[in-house]
Amino acid sequence: MTMQLQADAQPEAGTQLMKVRGMSMSYGFGASENKILEDLNLDVASGEFISIVGPSGVGKTTLLRCLSGLLRPKAGTIEVSGTVISGPHPDLAVVFQDYSRSLMPWMTTRDNVAFPLQGKGMGKVERNRVADENLAAVGLEGQGDKFPWEMSGGMQQRVAIARALAYNAKVLLMDEPFASVDAQTRFDLEDLVIKLKQELGVTILLVTHDIDEALYLADKVVVIAEKPATVVDEIITGFGEDRDQLATKADPRFADARARIMHRLRKD
Amino acid sequence: MTSTTSILATRRGTVRKARPRSGDSFGRSLLRATWLIVVVLVAWWFLSANSTNFFIPSLEQILTTLGRDLANGVIVAGAIYSLTNLFVGLLIAAALGIILGLLLGELGWLRRIVDPIIHFFRSVPQAALVPMIIGVFGMGQGPKMGTIAFACMWPILLNTIDGVLGVEPTIRKFSKVYRIPRSLHFRKVVLPAALPQIVAGIRVALPIGITVMVVSEMFASIEGLGFYILNSSATFKVPETWAGALLVGVIGYVISLLFVLAERRLLRWYHASGSQ
Repeated sequence: MTMQLQADAQPEAGTQLMKVRGMSMSYGFGASENKILEDLNLDVASGEFISIVGPSGVGKTTLLRCLSGLLRPKAGTIEVSGTVISGPHPDLAVVFQDYSRSLMPWMTTRDNVAFPLQGKGMGKVERNRVADENLAAVGLEGQGDKFPWEMSGGMQQRVAIARALAYNAKVLLMDEPFASVDAQTRFDLEDLVIKLKQELGVTILLVTHDIDEALYLADKVVVIAEKPATVVDEIITGFGEDRDQLATKADPRFADARARIMHRLRKD
Repeated sequence: MTSTTSILATRRGTVRKARPRSGDSFGRSLLRATWLIVVVLVAWWFLSANSTNFFIPSLEQILTTLGRDLANGVIVAGAIYSLTNLFVGLLIAAALGIILGLLLGELGWLRRIVDPIIHFFRSVPQAALVPMIIGVFGMGQGPKMGTIAFACMWPILLNTIDGVLGVEPTIRKFSKVYRIPRSLHFRKVVLPAALPQIVAGIRVALPIGITVMVVSEMFASIEGLGFYILNSSATFKVPETWAGALLVGVIGYVISLLFVLAERRLLRWYHASGSQ
């Protein structure tokens, strides 16, 4: 099923971080049961960037809630770092779609980023230092004293990304993180995420409905479709480390993969 | 009571709009907030000046009486007694209302059990309970504070529950995914998120507290503003009755103003972020 677009661009063989087997999810019971996900399998290795792409309403948000431990699947297992999870796991951090609602307006950006570290029992000086470091990593150096509502949408989403990074999880789950910012900000944030992945070696699992975004960012694109949703295709993108909003998207392989995904989504 | 709240509402409105031009608009907003009071006082002064009705003394007479009793300490001692009761009562009400409200807001099963009881007690006219409570618990200061606390707790409790239920779902998800410990979640997430509602509840409780404060001193009491009003009324010292009532109104207004100032500091993020 996997299409090899470029032979020498295999994702690095990292250790396995997540393993999803036979996951199914539904709401309601009996005759009114509404099946959302069925028999989903997924593997995430260390250092990988995986995009999960699917049409609106296919169940991407439900999938991400299950993966993050907020919802319990009806069947199947999710393994994180070798153990089956039954709730939120310290190796997983989530960047939510709604940046303006996931940040706390009564805290400065520094406090927002440092807060989960306080939950881990880290001292004040230490967690403020870590928060400032991560704010700098997302391009918000020296902005720790500002409040989220003093910032633009793109900057707020950077704060949310810094918060996820500071939490020091092994896998970052991103739920359509750039869906509600303007196009230019979106490109900036996409390039920021690529940079973070390369420089910090974070493993990222990003859910999106945008095929171009999925292809541009990922090492591997997982296509989900049908009702109930299941994995219908997997594509290794093979664009390597150097990505450019113009050049990469103009690559003939990009167009091929794009056509293939669109075809997949249309047929199903 | 209603005029106080409407004045506060316009003040809040003007302050928010007028922020960029602080200089002249402060004077303007002050004028906008006070002109009606001045007009009413002037009208009262002249309309009552030649009053021959025994029960409606002239404003001049009322103010002279008020000045006299403020100067000789009769009212001041009463006011200190009354305000002590009010503040202790409010403090107890706020502490109980907020703690119980946070618990009931977070614990759905407990809320469903307790809900009918809450709505029963908040519907009981609080002032009517005063003679019973004092009959049972005695005449001291304690039962008066307790009565004020009991009456003031309901709006604070109900607003706190509402505030907790209104916490942004995404923030709750955040708190779960990032495994924020329960006590930290309560103190740093739920409490600040519910604070605007809690503060609104306390603002509603203030005038209730003042009313119950006065009423509680009208039964079996020899101290306080309520006693001053009742005593002068019973002995047909009509200007004293008016003076006492007027003073209670002024105290209520001043407390509300102070409260609004404190609120604006406490909820700076709320007003500035425009999340209301």
